[in-house]
Amino acid sequence: MNHFALTIIGRDRPGIVAQVTESLYRLGCNIADSSCSILGGQFAMILIISHPEFTGRESFGDAFLPLEESNLSVFLRTLKPGGEKHAGIAGEICMISVYGSDQPGIVYRVARELGERRVNITDLNTKLVGSDERPVYVMMLEAVLPADLCIEELTEIMKNLEKEVQIDISVRSITPIEL
Amino acid sequence: MAVRSIIQYPDPLLKTVCAPVAEADADLDALVQDLIDTMVEAGHSVGVAAPQIGVCKRVAVVDVSKSKMGRENNHGLLVMINPHIVEQEGRETLREGCMSVPDYTGNVTRAENIVLQFRDREGREKVIRASGFEAVAIQHELDHLDGLLFLDRVSSVKTDVFRRKR
Repeated sequence: MNHFALTIIGRDRPGIVAQVTESLYRLGCNIADSSCSILGGQFAMILIISHPEFTGRESFGDAFLPLEESNLSVFLRTLKPGGEKHAGIAGEICMISVYGSDQPGIVYRVARELGERRVNITDLNTKLVGSDERPVYVMMLEAVLPADLCIEELTEIMKNLEKEVQIDISVRSITPIEL
Repeated sequence: MAVRSIIQYPDPLLKTVCAPVAEADADLDALVQDLIDTMVEAGHSVGVAAPQIGVCKRVAVVDVSKSKMGRENNHGLLVMINPHIVEQEGRETLREGCMSVPDYTGNVTRAENIVLQFRDREGREKVIRASGFEAVAIQHELDHLDGLLFLDRVSSVKTDVFRRKR
């Protein structure tokens, strides 16, 4: 089974998911993983799909043409074998909430601290909220800590960044509990 | 006295409302022991409900005393027969997983404090107050008795945060 990553973005309206998944169904594609969300006025779909015979972009022919004709942007990436499986990075999972008055560089400064310490971001959402006069930036991210970094250390690192960038940050463990 | 295997979704038993237990008898006691043995054997588990081992009866066991999150605040081993929640208050959200739904976790919001009524292994009627992680574990197991999985209760932090704005 060959896997592909498919991203589709377009002005939000009812029926996009139905239109996209009908094309995939008619092609004989399976949807393995997917995440779709509205960002601004755009609806964005990211899917990992598979097909028993398709080997590359050309196998899809012009199957996505109707989607493009209805103003959706379509991008297909052919995955190398195994590219559909995550690297299986184990470790403590934490949720980091970041918020403060809007200013350039909030995402970058937080991400840089994390990247330098090999913290793996697994989910990231940002949103501009508040009034036009006093915009507030909110960022929620989930990350996996490397074995040599504990949540207390990360909290300390984020505390320093809070002062430096003038934002509020909280870190908490969300490692799942199996019941 | 046996470790039973945990049945997994899509077994229809996990979506079945279990029947109340009428009489305390040897079968019931054996079921309780199997639940305890199965919970202990699955080292990471803090509770098992009867439908998870294939028995459609309102019986569940919970013991959070060995887990990091429940160590400080618990009732030890709880054997709950025909349990029901009398009162609940507060809300807390935890990322839950379930042995019957492998490889998937989700944020679930549940009551922080509960008052629980149940019959214990010796047949005595009991009423206890539970809070924190123990309360969450109890609510998770009790859901199994009503054919509910944590998947029926998932809420994501992202949605919560963004919904308030609209």
